[in-house]
Amino acid sequence: MAAAAPSPVPAAISAAAKVASPKAGDRKVVPVTAADEVEQEEMHVLAVDDSSVDRAVIAKILRSSKYRVTTVDSATRALELLCLGLLPDVSMIITDYWMPGMTGYELLKRVKESSQLKEIPVVIMSSENVPNRISRCLEEGAEDFLLKPVRPSDVSRLCSRIR
Amino acid sequence: GLPSPRRPRAGTGTSHKLVRRRRCSSARPARPRRNSESDAELLKMMESACFLRHVLEGYLDEQFCQVEDLQDEASPNFAEEVVTLFFKDSARLISNIEQALEKYPKDFNRWDAYMQQLKGSCSSIGASRMKSECMSFREYCGQGSVDGCMKSFQKVKREHTALRQKLEAYFQLLRQAGPAGAAPRPAK
Repeated sequence: MAAAAPSPVPAAISAAAKVASPKAGDRKVVPVTAADEVEQEEMHVLAVDDSSVDRAVIAKILRSSKYRVTTVDSATRALELLCLGLLPDVSMIITDYWMPGMTGYELLKRVKESSQLKEIPVVIMSSENVPNRISRCLEEGAEDFLLKPVRPSDVSRLCSRIR
Repeated sequence: GLPSPRRPRAGTGTSHKLVRRRRCSSARPARPRRNSESDAELLKMMESACFLRHVLEGYLDEQFCQVEDLQDEASPNFAEEVVTLFFKDSARLISNIEQALEKYPKDFNRWDAYMQQLKGSCSSIGASRMKSECMSFREYCGQGSVDGCMKSFQKVKREHTALRQKLEAYFQLLRQAGPAGAAPRPAK
């Protein structure tokens, strides 16, 4: 394991780190080995949002565009999974800005600070149009900033850039 | 919550969008080719659903259409699933606000933070009327008006109840109407 995990990641993490799963056909996380990983060029997106409604919608938008999606309900959980190497093939992180505990902005910073993770594009979503907030995120290295409610057109525009 | 949906038959993934296609038209839905009795029954159901959809338009905005548009053969009941998630979430948030109004008098920051979450959920499913009331509440928080918050919160709850009733009826009717052109299946 390359980079040091950020300190907020708790020591007592169960090996099968459980992912919050809304009903809409969401995937559980399974540890991925080289043999398992055969999904050609398919992009794997990690979606982070504390709202179950928003998770369901963003996941569906992404899946309708043929992306694989893992959803988690907190930035802390997202970092756990990423740093434990349970999501080695994530090609994009899309996260809500305002979440209890660690915010999406803090997640962005940690990802960009980590030599293991910093190449992963991070997109921030927010229901509030605060120019200050937007520019701070972009300065911190966010790939893009989407206003909620997020539309399929926002996401397809984004993904075609990142591909 | 909402009753659990029945799955449409294979190849009928568009059935739940039937009513939506009609939503902007005041014309009657096309008459399916069946005998006159099931014709009339189906037509009545479709008209009720169309009517409901029209009524819903006061309560829901374009975002709801976006959510419905995400429905496909892989997730034929997606809109209803999301709405179910919404009501589960909103019930919890409303309860939190209720408690906070009592336990933390004049804690406008706290009240506002809870309402911000609720407003976000409303926004995600296109619940425009309820969202407006949420925004009013937040304005009253900003003004430091306890009275304004209390009154506004009652309105939020009323809109929530009304929306739930209408959406339940809407999805119920969609289920009963079944795939276009086929006889309506008996309601479970």
